[in-house]
Formats: sequence, structure tokens, C-alpha cells
Amino acid sequence: MAVTEVAVTEQETTSRTPGAGGQALPKPSWFLWRLIRFRPWMWTINLLAITLLIVIAMSPGLIAREFFDRLPTAATSAATGPLGLPDWLWWLCLFTVLSTVGRIALGFCLQLTNGPFMFEGAALMQKNLLAGVLQLPGARALPSSPGEAISRFREDADETPGFMMGFNDMCGGAAFAVIAMVIMLRIDAGVTLLVFLPLVAVVAVVNRARDALERYRRASREATGAVTGFIGEVMGAVQAIQVANASEQVIRHFRTLNEQRLRTAVRDRLFDQLLASVFWNTVNLGTGAILFLAAQSMRAGTFSFGDFALFSFFLGFATELTTQLGRVLSHYRRLGVSFGRMATLLGDAPPQTIVAHGPLYVRTEPPPLAPPGQGETAVAPEERLERLERLDVEGLTYRHPTSGRGITEISFSLERGTLTVITGRVGSGKTTLLQALLGLLPPDSGTVRWNGRPVTNAATFFVPPRSAYTPQVPRLFSETLGANILLGLAPAGGDTTAALRLAVLEGDVASMAEGLDTPVGAKGVRLSGGQIQRVAAARMFVRRPELLVFDDLSSALDGETERLLWQRIFERDALTGRTATVLAVSHRRAALRRADEVIVLQEGRVAARGRLDDLLATSAEMQRLWHGEPAGEDAALR
Amino acid sequence: MYSPLGPYRDLLHAYLGPQVGLVSLLAVLLGASTALQLTGPQVLRAFIDAATAGAATAHLHRVAALFVGLALLQQAMAVLATYYSERVGWSATNALREDLTRHCLRLDLAFHKARTPGELIERIDGDVTALANFFSQFIVQVLGNVLLLAGVTVLLWGVDWRAGLSLTVFAAVSFAAMNRMRGITVPHWRRARQASADLFGFIEERLGGTEDIRANGATAYVIRQLYVPLRARILTNCRARVVGALQWGTPDLLSSFQLATSLAVILLLYRGGAITIGTAFMINYYTWLSFRPLRMITQQMEDFQKAGAGIVRIQELLTTSSVLHDPDNPRPIPNGPLAVAFDHVSFHYGGESQETAGPVLHDVSFALAPSAVLGLIGRTGSGKTTVSRLLFRLYDPSAGAVRLGGVDLRQARREDVRRRIGMVTQDVQLFRASVRDNVTFFDEAIGDGPILAALEDLGLGEWYRSLPKGLDTLLGPDGMGVSAGEAQLLAFTRVFLKDPGVVVLDEASSRLDPATERLIERAVDRLLVGRTGIIIAHRLATIRRVDEVMILEGGRLVEYGPREVLAGDPGSRLAALLRVGLEGAGDPGDGDPGDGDLGAAQHSRLLVRSP
Repeated sequence: MAVTEVAVTEQETTSRTPGAGGQALPKPSWFLWRLIRFRPWMWTINLLAITLLIVIAMSPGLIAREFFDRLPTAATSAATGPLGLPDWLWWLCLFTVLSTVGRIALGFCLQLTNGPFMFEGAALMQKNLLAGVLQLPGARALPSSPGEAISRFREDADETPGFMMGFNDMCGGAAFAVIAMVIMLRIDAGVTLLVFLPLVAVVAVVNRARDALERYRRASREATGAVTGFIGEVMGAVQAIQVANASEQVIRHFRTLNEQRLRTAVRDRLFDQLLASVFWNTVNLGTGAILFLAAQSMRAGTFSFGDFALFSFFLGFATELTTQLGRVLSHYRRLGVSFGRMATLLGDAPPQTIVAHGPLYVRTEPPPLAPPGQGETAVAPEERLERLERLDVEGLTYRHPTSGRGITEISFSLERGTLTVITGRVGSGKTTLLQALLGLLPPDSGTVRWNGRPVTNAATFFVPPRSAYTPQVPRLFSETLGANILLGLAPAGGDTTAALRLAVLEGDVASMAEGLDTPVGAKGVRLSGGQIQRVAAARMFVRRPELLVFDDLSSALDGETERLLWQRIFERDALTGRTATVLAVSHRRAALRRADEVIVLQEGRVAARGRLDDLLATSAEMQRLWHGEPAGEDAALR
Repeated sequence: MYSPLGPYRDLLHAYLGPQVGLVSLLAVLLGASTALQLTGPQVLRAFIDAATAGAATAHLHRVAALFVGLALLQQAMAVLATYYSERVGWSATNALREDLTRHCLRLDLAFHKARTPGELIERIDGDVTALANFFSQFIVQVLGNVLLLAGVTVLLWGVDWRAGLSLTVFAAVSFAAMNRMRGITVPHWRRARQASADLFGFIEERLGGTEDIRANGATAYVIRQLYVPLRARILTNCRARVVGALQWGTPDLLSSFQLATSLAVILLLYRGGAITIGTAFMINYYTWLSFRPLRMITQQMEDFQKAGAGIVRIQELLTTSSVLHDPDNPRPIPNGPLAVAFDHVSFHYGGESQETAGPVLHDVSFALAPSAVLGLIGRTGSGKTTVSRLLFRLYDPSAGAVRLGGVDLRQARREDVRRRIGMVTQDVQLFRASVRDNVTFFDEAIGDGPILAALEDLGLGEWYRSLPKGLDTLLGPDGMGVSAGEAQLLAFTRVFLKDPGVVVLDEASSRLDPATERLIERAVDRLLVGRTGIIIAHRLATIRRVDEVMILEGGRLVEYGPREVLAGDPGSRLAALLRVGLEGAGDPGDGDPGDGDLGAAQHSRLLVRSP
């Protein structure tokens, strides 16, 4: 099981020294800079708009100062304008309304830019993450369940571009701070410094709280992942749960996961609020200090009522900005957790790929797919499309990291046009052997040679048109039957029909009203188990690979269908002039009888190999596998 | 007319009702916090008037200290309020998540066939999380701010009717404007949330099929497909935000009018000698204080609308009812082994799901006595699995009736029916949970003793001893670390522990090698003692122990009878199948008979060749 191992990697990642798979995780700022560079104009316009907006938002303070400075004289002066109010008041009112109109316009501009920046940035990361996961050894691609991984695609990817918008707000706040500082210093330097001292205190507080913030946030995210993962598993197993009448028990388990999440989330949020409160209080203490100081100067007449209005307005503003600053700083600390969690999904790939720039095709159509064999893989040109003559496996070893089980020193060869069947008991390592051979698991040691040349990167090498593979439990996607078979391939005219026939699927398709356009439902649930397996087989055939690899293809097929399938696979040469080469895991007699070579696995090692007849004569394990039951009982059917 | 507040009220009642104590405490905290906020400007007025009157510095310092003290106290209240509101919010949303999950588990397969697990994750967790704010913040913020605004208005009326009137008019106009705006963003947010659900549904499904995608070279194709839901999520979310921004301007603009008006009012009052400079400050301060509640209320309305989109989707989900209904006066299912009867049952997958691929049953009738074992034979797609689904009442028949222990399934509770039947299928779903939870389906009432006994019976003893933490060992999702064969043995363990009256084995051993199959045969024999059994098979080898045989072809029952009679009748289909063998029928170039026909002759030949 890869679960525990990955959990360790994640701890390393988030402690930020070695990243996932030994790759150093860059600082969050590095990722953020790449995100800015991805949509530079959106970011710049947003920054300018928010800065201008905050600066305009200073105007009420200046208006208030002007008003309260003139108020005492207005009581005595007789100068009046329209409605008995002085002209200067009219100007102040006009200025008030105009500055608000300006703010509203800029606010609209903000929304126009921050949406694209945030969601396109998140989309870029989501795309890179999925592409990254698909580059990993397929059988061990995820640290946990797909549902749990979704929380990394959702929360972690959304959080980071969102942070940049908060950062822009903070930059605007900084511009405000500079201008306000100049204005206030000119009024009263001593009082002004007391307004800005709290800012320094806040930065210190946040730095001290850093570790706790990260810990709480990570615990909260993990609890969320456990909840989403469980929902995913439950919804994928609805029939089993209904049939087992286990709904209430499942809900009880769900409840404990929910409670765990409640505890961690409330703790995370409470800590956030405590910090925010500290910021507010720092500023409130500053306000108090100003009242103390102003008490002296106001009586001395050096600090006017207007000055007091301006200062108290700016203080309210400074309070919000200081809180904002604190939030942005603590948010920045948490970004490390998010990037670490996303990097874990990528395995050994450099974490930098999370934000690798690439097209998103938001406003244009994506280009058509390159044909298979070109662009799909990163192999040298001379290795492409080479006809398979011989495949050698030498000393292939893989152990599951936690259970220690796996395969040891497996060696065999197969030649063009032959059928090799791997058989063995449950847990003897049959599937592991196929996965390690195809690079769906990373082998610990061993060599695989294609026509005598060693394969360096099995995962990118063993793809169509070299090989195709059907796992033991094939997965279909909620698309049409045809789309599931083609998976983006644009085959020549009759290829789909030929693949359907090979897979003994033509009758099923003919009986469906919508034919190949029939939607198969989530995981292909609208099809029968046998149909799913044959759709998966057709998916292989339509790619016309040199090597066909099946893991227990026929387990859901009845005897007649299975017989037809094998027969058609091997009559293929008569139609196309090509010869099928097949490596299959099976314990079915139809397959074993046809095999040119049978490889018997026992506890991860080759127990015997050869033709079936010879093995039945020489191998005790083969005899057990073949008979299954003691002689005599089988006659019971008669 | 549809009342937009109806669903909100129902949700509040259902999920905040049980927490009435905490909610009341929250209300008290809010009231106290609001009162503290209102006293701030009064203190300030006292300070300024005292300063103007030339009061002693010590007095001024006392007033300043009071201001600071009140502010600190208010912060303490805010922290407490946050803590309780988060607790209330999470408890409420967790209860809602639970109810939604329970509801989804009650829905029929037609519902689940149309939805990916990823989409349901988004609807059960994503939508509800969007609601969390509604439960935890909406009440606190909206009530708290309405209270604050009311307080400010009352205090200003007390100072002077003109000051009070101007604020009242302003607040009334603002609320009217906001009420007009309400709802314009809801459809946009709903589309945005659906786009998110689609995206994460797509990703989740692909993450489950990485092996298939990799080994078939479909990586580039999947990425290209991803662009479609990615784009939809970007565009819908951006549009929703821009539309949301349109409604922001109105309260801001109204505030600026109110500010201008208050300046004029203060000037007139002060010039008339009605107020002191301290009161002038206080009016100004209160005017500013009144903007924050309006802004917060507007923002909460915005969140409220996002929640509204979630609520609509949650309501949609909650009102999606199963096509299956439990009767009002359910009949109990008897104890012990149960008779199973199909009475002229026809079935077709119909309705919205447009099932065209599924098998169909035509007028199938049979009656299986208690404790008898039936072998159900048919080719892939002949309708075998549909028979078992009808038996569990995952669907109702289109015509005819299914009876268990003489009770029409439609007259019994589904729960009672399913408690009495156990099934092992070819696909086994394992959870990322302990071995114990996986075999007991999270039923804590089952002790370790029966579990260990069942594991031993099924030949999993050695496997169990290899587990690092015994029954507490965590299994991976989709059975990481467990082979498909072992997973099937675990599924057998589940049925053993459930102790049902009817056992259905649906191709249960198809992934097991013959040697392992042999290991569990004895256990299966024991499982079938005193229980009615239905063994669904496409291979004859698996039906050796059956009493009766039923053969389905294209959804029709073509043969039914005692196995021995049918096997002995040369004209029967069973006999024909036994002759050619269902599995290896007509294997060309191979003289062996098929698996179903493992005659003594073949065995003796093999035995001779064995050393």
C-alpha cells in the first residue's frame, strides 16, 4: 500500500526542506510570481485599480477635517449660499458624492480583473496537476483515494490565486499608508508614530504564530480530505451499501469523520479570529494612546477638531488595513501547506510544474490531438513504432512498500505472434508483474528489453501503438460507448467496426438503440460487467498495438463469448497480415490451452514455465491450479 | 407565489433548532457586543466636550482609558462569538451533510447511474460548505448589524429629529434598493456551482482510471477534454462575480448622499446652537458607524445568494425521491431460510435514465423453496444480474411481483428486505478504513471473534496474520494492497458476518483461481446450510452444489427444473451445455471437452499423466 509512504512524504514537503520525492519545494513566492507572469495584465490592472480605489477612499477623512475645522466659524459667519448653507459645504458634498462614484467604477474594474486572474490561475494548476498525476506510474498514481485528491484540486488550487488578490489589497493599503503618513506627520509627528507602531507589533505577532497556523490548517485540510474521500467511496459503492443494508453504519462512520473535521476547522478558525483580534486591539490601544496625547494638544489648541476627525477616520482605516496585512501574512504562511499538498500529487516530478505555463483555451478551441506515437511520448524517434520481434524480462523485482509483498526476480521472454499466459493463485503477484513490466509500478530492479534494446522509461514506452493494456477492473468514463473506446483516437474507416468485432461487442452495440452513442454512465455502470470488459478490450484493439496485455480479461465473460474472443484475436493475422502478440493473466482453461507458454507464479516467483501439457505433468502448483477440486467431485453435475 | 425565504427558514429550523441553547448564547453575546459598539461614540463625545470645556487632564485620561477598556471588552466578545458561531455552523452543516449522504444512499440506482461520485462530493460537501457561512456568519452578521443600525437610529432620534429622520430615510431607501437587487445573482451562482461540480466530477473519474488512461496512451486526450469543464468553471464564475459587483454600487452611492446630508444637518444644528461640538462629532461618528452595518448586510446578502444557489441545489437533491417507496404498513419478512418467488416478472430500465444498454426481463416466473439452492445460468447480458437487483429491490419490476418469504417486496420495508439477503458480487468496493470496518461495514456491534473466525474459514488466516496492525490495518482505496481475489474473499467475509436468510452469489468467484476457489468452497457450503441460495454463474463449474437450475436467454426463462432431472434429460439445454461445456464450447483444434464437462475420462487421463 502506498498510503503510509506518501503520508511521510507529505510531512517532509510541508516542513519545506526536502520536497515531494526529494525535490526541493520552492518558496510560495516563487509560485506566486509564476502565477502573476501567467496573467500579468489582469494582475497589474487589478493592482492599479485597488491602489487608486484605496487612495480615493481617503477623501472622506480629508472632507471631515475640512468640515470640522470650518464648523466653529460657520456658527458666527453669516455667509450663506443656496438653502442657507455656505458654498464650501456644497463643494464638500459634491466632492463626497463624486469620490464615491469613482470608487464604485474602480470596484467594478476590480471584479472584471480578479475573476479571470483567480479562476484561470486555478485552472492552470488544476490542469497541470491532472497532467502530472497522469505521468505517474498509473497503478500508484494517487497518495490516497480520488475523492481525497479532489480536495487538493479544489481548495489548494483555488486558494493560491485568491491570495494574490488579497496581496494586491495589501499593496493598495501600503500606498494609503505612505500618503496618510505624510499628511499626519505634517499635523503631529508624535501622535502619528503611535498610529504606525502597532503595525510593527502585528508583524512580530504573526511571525511567532506561524508554526501553529500551519499545523492547524494542515489538520483541517486533512480532515476535509477524509470527509470528501469517504463521500466519494460511499457514492462509488452505493449498490454494495444498499445491498448490505449498511447505510446507518456508514453514516455513523461518516459522522465521526465529520466531528473530527469540525474540531480541526473550529480550531483553525478560532486561531485566525484570535490573531485578528490581536490586530484590532493593537490598534485600539494606539487609539487610546492618541486620545491621551490629543488631550494635551487639544487643550493647548495645537490639535484642531478637524485634525482629530482626520486622525480618527484614518485610524479606522488603518485598523482595517492592519488586519488585512495580518491576514495576508498568515495566509502566505499557509500557502506553503497548499503547494506542498499539490506537489505530493506530482510524485517525483519537480514541484515547479504545478505552475508551468500553458494554454487554457478559454476563448478559443483547443487544437486537435496529435496521432498516437507522435507527441504522446517523449522517446527517441528511432524507438517509435518499431515492430515487436521479441520481449525479454530479466530479474524484474517489485515490492509493495508497506506489505513487502510483490514479485521477485521474474525472467521470461516472449516472441512475436505468441500467447503467453501468466497464472497463479490469488495474491501470487500476477497483476503486480504486469504493472511493473508496463511501468504502472516503478520496479525496484530488473530489465525489460524490446527487440534486445533495454527500455529506459517503461511508463512512457509501453503505450499504443507499442502496447495496450486492460486492467483487471477496467474503468470506463461517463461518456458515450464510442468515446470510451476511442479515447480521442480518430481511427481509419473500418477500424472501430473491426475492433468491436474482435472484442465480440458488435452484437451488444447493434442491440442498443443509440449504438456507439449510448452513454455508459459513471464508471460504465449502465453496462454489464462483461460488456465493460469487452469495451475495454475494444479500446485496446482499435489502437492496433504490437503487444496486447490483458489482466484477467475474461473474468466476467461466459465461456462462449470468451472462446470467440480468443479465436478472433488470433484470426486477426488472416485479415490484416499482422500477428497478434499477447501477454495475459488468466486462470481460465480456454486461455491456458491456447498458450504458447504458461508462466506459473507462486508467492511472487516463477514456479514453473512451459507448455500447459508439460506443466500439468511436472508442476504440482499447475496441477492444483488446473484441477481446483479433487478428482471425482466434478462428476456431480451429471 | 414561490417564497424565496421558505427553504432558508426550513433549513434554519431543521439544523439550528437542535442547537437552540448555543444559538441563544450567541444572541446574548451579539447584543452585548452591539451595546459596547454604541457606547464608543458617547465616550468620544464626553471626551471632546470635556476637552473643549478645559477639564483636568486626569479626567480626560480616565475617559480615554474607558474608551480603550470598552474596545478590549468588545474584542473579547467578538472572539467568543466567532467560536460559538463556528461551532453552530459546523454542527449544522455536518448534520446536513449526513442527511444528504443518507438520502443519496436511499436513492435508487437509476439516480446513481446518472451521476459520478465526484459530482456528488461537490453537491454533498461543496454546496454545503458554501452554506456553512449562511449558518455561522449570516445570523451573527445580519442580526448583529441590524441591531447596531437600529441602535444608532434610536440614539440619533434622541439627539435631534432631523438627524434621526435623515438616517431613517437613508436606511429605508438602502434596504429597499437591496431588496430589489436580491436574487439577480442567484442563477449565475447556481450555474457557477454546477460548473464546479462538473469539473471535479470529471477529474475524480479520471483519477480513478489512471491505469487505463496511461496504458492506452490517452493522456493527451484527457487533458484536451479537461479544457471544456475548466473553461465552463472560469466563465461562469467570472460572470457571477461581475453581476455581483453591479449590486455593490448602490449602497455605496446612497452612503455618500447620507454623508453629505449629515454634514448639512450637523451644520444647521450647530449653527442654531442646538448641539455642542462633541455632539457634532458623535453624530458624524454614528453616521459612519451606520455604513458598516449596511455594507456588511449587503455583503451577507451576496453570500446569502451564493448560499441560495447551494440551497436550491440541496433542495433539488433532497426532493429527488427514490422511485421506490416503502409502504405505510410494512409486512415483516419471516425469519429463517426464505422462499424466493418471481411471479410473471417483466422489467425494463425506463424513465429519465434512457437505459438502452441494460438487459430486460420478460415474464419470468419461478419459485424456490426455503433452503434450496438455485443455479442461474445465462450468457453475459442475459438478465442474470437484473434478477438479483430485483430481489434486493434496487428496482421494482415493471410487471409482476417478486416475493421473499411469501411477502411481495413492495409491501415490505427495503431495510427489512436487505437485512435478510446477503450478496457477493464480482466487483468489491473497499473503503479507506480498517480491515474491521471493511468487513463489518462499520458495524461496531460485531466483535473480533466472529470476524477472525470468518477470515479463517475463508482461508484468509494467513493474509490476516501478515497485516501489520491486525484488524486495525488501514486498507487503501479501491483495495490498494489487496488483490482482486483477496477483495472477493473479504466480500464473502461480509456476508458471513451478516448472517442472512438468502444468499446471492453473483459471479462471486470469477476472479479467483481454481485453487483459491477450492479453499472457499467448503465455507460456501457451510454458508448455504439452512439458507436459500442463488448462485449466478456464466460457468457451469460454479453450480455443482445447486438443487435447481434456471437458464436465462435474452431476458427470457428458457429452462427451469431440478438439476439432476435436467442433467439426465438428453433433450434439455442444461444437458446440451454440459455436453459441449459452457466455457470451452467448440474449442477448435483442441480435443478437450470444456470445463463444464469435466468427465471422469478427462480426469483419469490427466491423472495418468501426473507424476
